[in-house]
Amino acid sequence: MSLEITLTVNGKTHTAALEPSTALVDFLRDTLGYKGVKLCCNTGECGACTIIMDGKPVNSCVVLGADAAGADLVTVEGIADGDALHPVQQAFIDTGAVQCGYCTPGFIVSLKALLDRTKNPTAEEVEEAISGNICRCTGYTKIYEAVDLAAKQMS
Amino acid sequence: MAKAEHKVLGTNMPRMGGVERVVGKGIYGIDLNLPDALCGGVLRSAHAHAKIVSIDTSAAKAIPGVHAVVTAADAPDVRYGRSYIDRYILAKDKVRYTGDPVAAVAAENQALVKEALGKIKVTYEPLPVVVDTEEAIKESAPTLHEDMPLPKNLPEGFQVKNVCGYTGVNIGDAEAAMADADVVVDEVYETRMIHPQYLEPRVAAARPEEDGRITVWTNAQAPFPVRTEVASLTGQPLNSVRVLSTDIGGGFGGKGSGVTSSAGLEPICALLAMTAKRPVMIVMDKAEETISTTIRSGAKIWIKSGVKKDGTLVARQGKVLYDAGGYSGFGNQAGGRCTQMVGGWYRLPNIHMDGLTVYTNKQVCGPVRGPGGPQATFAMESHMDSIAAELGMDPIEFRLKNVPAKGDGIVGVPKLRDSSLPETLNTAKEKIGWGKVKLGKNQGIGFATGAWIEGSGPGGGAVVKVNEDGSATVHIGKVDFGTAARFGIPMIVAEELGIPTGDVTVLNVDTDASPWDAGTVGSRSMLVSGNAVKLAAEDAREQILRMAAATLEASPEDLEIVDKQIQVKGAPSRSVSMASVCTAAHNEIGDVIGRGYFDSKASQVHEREQGSSQPFTTHAALVEVDTDTGNVTVLKYVCVHDVGFVVHPRAVEGQIEGAAAMSLGQALCEQVVHDSEGRTLNPTFVDYLMPTINMLPPIETVLVSGYPGAGPYGTKGAGEIGSVPPMACIANAIYNATGVRVRRLPLSPENVLRALREAGK
Repeated sequence: MSLEITLTVNGKTHTAALEPSTALVDFLRDTLGYKGVKLCCNTGECGACTIIMDGKPVNSCVVLGADAAGADLVTVEGIADGDALHPVQQAFIDTGAVQCGYCTPGFIVSLKALLDRTKNPTAEEVEEAISGNICRCTGYTKIYEAVDLAAKQMS
Repeated sequence: MAKAEHKVLGTNMPRMGGVERVVGKGIYGIDLNLPDALCGGVLRSAHAHAKIVSIDTSAAKAIPGVHAVVTAADAPDVRYGRSYIDRYILAKDKVRYTGDPVAAVAAENQALVKEALGKIKVTYEPLPVVVDTEEAIKESAPTLHEDMPLPKNLPEGFQVKNVCGYTGVNIGDAEAAMADADVVVDEVYETRMIHPQYLEPRVAAARPEEDGRITVWTNAQAPFPVRTEVASLTGQPLNSVRVLSTDIGGGFGGKGSGVTSSAGLEPICALLAMTAKRPVMIVMDKAEETISTTIRSGAKIWIKSGVKKDGTLVARQGKVLYDAGGYSGFGNQAGGRCTQMVGGWYRLPNIHMDGLTVYTNKQVCGPVRGPGGPQATFAMESHMDSIAAELGMDPIEFRLKNVPAKGDGIVGVPKLRDSSLPETLNTAKEKIGWGKVKLGKNQGIGFATGAWIEGSGPGGGAVVKVNEDGSATVHIGKVDFGTAARFGIPMIVAEELGIPTGDVTVLNVDTDASPWDAGTVGSRSMLVSGNAVKLAAEDAREQILRMAAATLEASPEDLEIVDKQIQVKGAPSRSVSMASVCTAAHNEIGDVIGRGYFDSKASQVHEREQGSSQPFTTHAALVEVDTDTGNVTVLKYVCVHDVGFVVHPRAVEGQIEGAAAMSLGQALCEQVVHDSEGRTLNPTFVDYLMPTINMLPPIETVLVSGYPGAGPYGTKGAGEIGSVPPMACIANAIYNATGVRVRRLPLSPENVLRALREAGK
């Protein structure tokens, strides 16, 4: 039995069918084609599939697609303004925080959600915002630096 | 040697492919979109050790929408392996670890794959299980491989069972020197298995082509070895197999050097596609990966050293039991390296080491980030601190007394051209504030040094094609996952050709077109592809200058390329654009194709004759131990490294910091836990703890210079050495804070608290 839902992703409205058991990450990737949402642990632990759902960052692997009916979603594909990268995106490139880059969309979305909430986050707030995102390449040092650089450029 | 001035090298250019990664383009293996592809899946053994009595696939094959069900019976009777050829792609007759692949299915969708896997009826006859290396070598232990002989080089006294590799180190007369020592320190250390846990799952896809060939897509680190093994294991001629690499979401050796040291996924996928006569794609589940793919093995290490009262090391003896898992995998290579590194990289005239690699009923050893090195160094550098404590010496002074100097030999290196080890020690001491910083209650500072010897290994080539607009396309056999291929390699081409880095495209590997290469392994991207690309770019530049010389009426030696203009040195107004020369080339040589290669054998001869410069490091940590809970907090962490000339500083720092973080994870919390029946108790990310940003402080990396290596411009490998010291470094800091030596990883609250309580603290 499949059902049909309507939702908004990065300002665009989609109506599509899905199985009740389909995870949101699979629906976004396989049905709607948002491949920037990265699939990894399927247990809500690594943050690679982070999206913003009605203003809040969520791990889309532990949300059912059906629960996104009527929701307003932002994925990593919706963060740049046309060709102009968001300061967080640019800072990740400039500081070398993008190594393999697989965790990068999740970090960027988590940080975007934070910066939408508060313009001048404290170090503790930054750490809290990305404490659910795992990176195995950088050891986080370059990610700390990217956040600092983006904050400077935004203030 | 580095030139006096570089325009591009040594700067932090944006990595190639950076924008695609921050905006979420679908570039990885997992993002492959193969029209008409079936989903594939693998049935894995639920037993750690059992005979396969029978496999009945009829019910699975009968499900509508299931297009292929394969077992060992459907594959050629060919095994694979590195030094021991001991493994089938699908288990035949026996399974040897929980997660051993037994059968595979291709079906219309994932739900059908799951259903079909559930309907394959395997009848097992369970056998006794052995998960511990010390137990596995006992006569009473079950035999894992009845038809595998013991290693030919196994010495008298080590004729024990389940051994699949032996490495000996024999320098001087360790026994006599030990008897003469003033002080002898004898210890045993133990490390546990960790999983590399790259974030992108393993992916393989295969498509039978109309012309009878087969195309394989993979996110493996070594496409050419994958080609060799897919051909041999599916019974195809080599030239019928084409392997295409995708961008890769992390590997760390886990997506290792070919099928042998990874998941064996590509030949299984190819077999499914050939059987179904349809494209098939397999995406592994993360929990499936944790129990079945290759890992950083655990090791048990006995280490005994003799010293003079003044702190001079005179002898070392030791033994290593290195866990291969159910098959030899990379175990012999990693266990051998581990054994050598327990011998150390200090001036030590008498060493005797015996290293055995041992089969157990666990998943298979792979080449994860410095294979063998972190384990060896946990023991060796903890032991160095124990000796210093026994002598009442400062741990830095004790090490400085024994560091090798120019002209000395160390294990694996007959003669050093120079030695950066003292400078890294002194710099680490200063940066962490040893003797200066005021330590709080239960705070301590620890040090550990490290090395990652660059020795023998395969060579590799490069082709630099210059297009008619002056841009360059680069073919190498190395793949990218945030390493040199897309950071430093384009910069070398830009530097040598006088063009912007953004005009250089490094292609993914296509085994039909790319130069052969052993893969992105062994910290060798810069050494192999860097050297090859430099020569290829120089070759291309010579061709361009030769053609421009006629136009400019000058000799090629008097020309230079600056910002895509070829000009006469000292008379820049006499110039012609790269684009016009490369376009005109169509009427002469077609296009400009530069070729270069790294001749590994010649390089080894050169290094042996001239002495070699090796990468050395010292790490320093400031920690605080909660003596009520055993919890260890890392307050400050410094990595001082010599990696020779640095092409892209941030890329190198990132490699070092990431490697350090993985070993800090192993120091503090990471381990794959098995029960006595060989079942993995923590397969998912919920149970497998890894460092997150709030667990680690920002890591400070310091790069010392002046010790050029064998890479282009004097670079040295930087990818793995950062993983070598951290476990010992943290253990030494805990000792400094509490006076308690913990000799078994992880240094988790549970283990640290137990050690504190046993010491009466």
